[in-house]
Amino acid sequence: MNAHVTRLARRNRKPLRAYLLPALVYCLLIIGVLIVVVPLMWAAAASFTPNHKVFEYAYPFSWRALLPVDFTLEAYDNIFARGFGRSISNTFFLAFATVIIGGAANALAGFAFGRFEFRGKNALFMIIVMLTFLVPVDLTAIPRYILINNFGWINTWQGLLVPGLANSLVIFLFRQFFAEIPQELIDAARVDGASWLRVLWSIVLPISKPVLVAAGLLMFISQWNSFFWPLLVAPRQELRVVQVAISLAVEQHRTRWNELLAGSMIAALVPILLVMPFQRYYVQAITGTGLE
Amino acid sequence: MTLRQRIVPYLLLLPALVLLLVFNLLPTIATLVESTFVISLRSGERVFAGFANFERIFNDPIFWKSLQVTVVFSLVVNPLQIALSLGLSMLMNQRLPGIGIFRSIYLLPVAVSLNVTAIVWRLLLDKNTGMVNGILHQLGIERQPFLHSPEQALWSIILIASWIGVPLWSLFILAGLQNIPPPVLEAAKIDGANAWQSFTRVTLPLLRRVLAFVLVADTVANFLLFAPILLTTQGGPQLSTNLILYETYRRGFLYGDLGASAAMLSVMLLFVFVIVGVELYVLRGSD
Repeated sequence: MNAHVTRLARRNRKPLRAYLLPALVYCLLIIGVLIVVVPLMWAAAASFTPNHKVFEYAYPFSWRALLPVDFTLEAYDNIFARGFGRSISNTFFLAFATVIIGGAANALAGFAFGRFEFRGKNALFMIIVMLTFLVPVDLTAIPRYILINNFGWINTWQGLLVPGLANSLVIFLFRQFFAEIPQELIDAARVDGASWLRVLWSIVLPISKPVLVAAGLLMFISQWNSFFWPLLVAPRQELRVVQVAISLAVEQHRTRWNELLAGSMIAALVPILLVMPFQRYYVQAITGTGLE
Repeated sequence: MTLRQRIVPYLLLLPALVLLLVFNLLPTIATLVESTFVISLRSGERVFAGFANFERIFNDPIFWKSLQVTVVFSLVVNPLQIALSLGLSMLMNQRLPGIGIFRSIYLLPVAVSLNVTAIVWRLLLDKNTGMVNGILHQLGIERQPFLHSPEQALWSIILIASWIGVPLWSLFILAGLQNIPPPVLEAAKIDGANAWQSFTRVTLPLLRRVLAFVLVADTVANFLLFAPILLTTQGGPQLSTNLILYETYRRGFLYGDLGASAAMLSVMLLFVFVIVGVELYVLRGSD
């Protein structure tokens, strides 16, 4: 009898531990999820709430704080009436222009680094690496501002767009991908007498979907989320981008909480909707640059 | 190879390289140059001033206070974020049903901008009616001032920065964990290593490269934290959150003292060089 119980206990000990560890993992993961999701749920719910009720269920806290129980579109109506739509279209325009023009420049550079041997290659690459990791762009924003001012580009599209086109992280992404394309593919086309641009366009580009999606997402989202540079260089209302618009509202409409949150939710939604279907690419895009 | 063949790579590089040189390298040099000039009060002209700007900022208690706040902030936020990121990535690396959903949810803060995060948390941490105080109230804890008190404001900024930082850096560490071949960990198990031993003796050493990158990148990112300060405390209360990049912005843009601002930025550039250099050296030393 005793022997039987011990045997049972011994047999049970392993399953119990096997359940305990996953249970602990799930518990910790769920605590983390609450920290991530609850702020966003409250912000989303509050953006659909009349302003005087924004904090109604937040203090003291009740679950109603996380759902739009007094649903209204008042906040969204108000921010669009004050020109938030213009900020959204500005930011989309800027982000698309960055992806297309910057994408082309970075892809060409990545192709040169990934597929060619040439004099000065390593030195040039080192300069780019050093610039990227030792001189963060925010540190040199003020002299860049003076430079742009000398060009007469303050409050212009060029001023917003051009300094952010070349992106060394994107160059690294392209370089890594292009370096792995089999040489035979390129040789075959070159033997047929195709120019390098032709090779890029009709041989390399069609097989580069993963890196194009990854680089595109990286450029689009970093432009969508960029703040410091547009704040300095284009304060004019007609050129205002989303991040600047929501930040200025913090100063100007301090107590219109539901409107601050409505703008913030739109600013958050666009990158979230882009990232979610392409998670694998996006994660690769961000982490790929650090794991070389 | 013909000459035409040889210039192809340079032509391909040209657009990106010119842009990088003009908009990244040139401003870097300009920062260093600008730090040696002052705007003359009498004529309004830029005049060479040697190290006068540096002398000025080194004699300025606000600069030293800002540096002190930045150092304290860095010493807390970086180890904290890296420890939590390591923990989160280990959790996300478990082969459990539904783990993909968790990974997706943890991607949310990574996609959201620092501005949005700062605006939302500013309201969540409101000293009167914020939800964090609402939850504390339910737990029987009295209201906390958070961003409004010199004692708690920097901690609140650390919380805001980490809400994005921890999920972001854990992505890198997770990618590193997934690169560890399972047979390596199985071999450690067969050799009788317990979970802690296989973590410290197998997993951590294999993560060294990733952790080195995360440590450097995280340190630099936090050293340059700006938006949350502008959007929540603007350096206050009593300069308790006046991180160094915000101080250079205040000097350069709000007070128009570009010389002092450039001198501070030059000091920061030196700091970044030293921090990155030392961290890479220390981590390489353990090879």
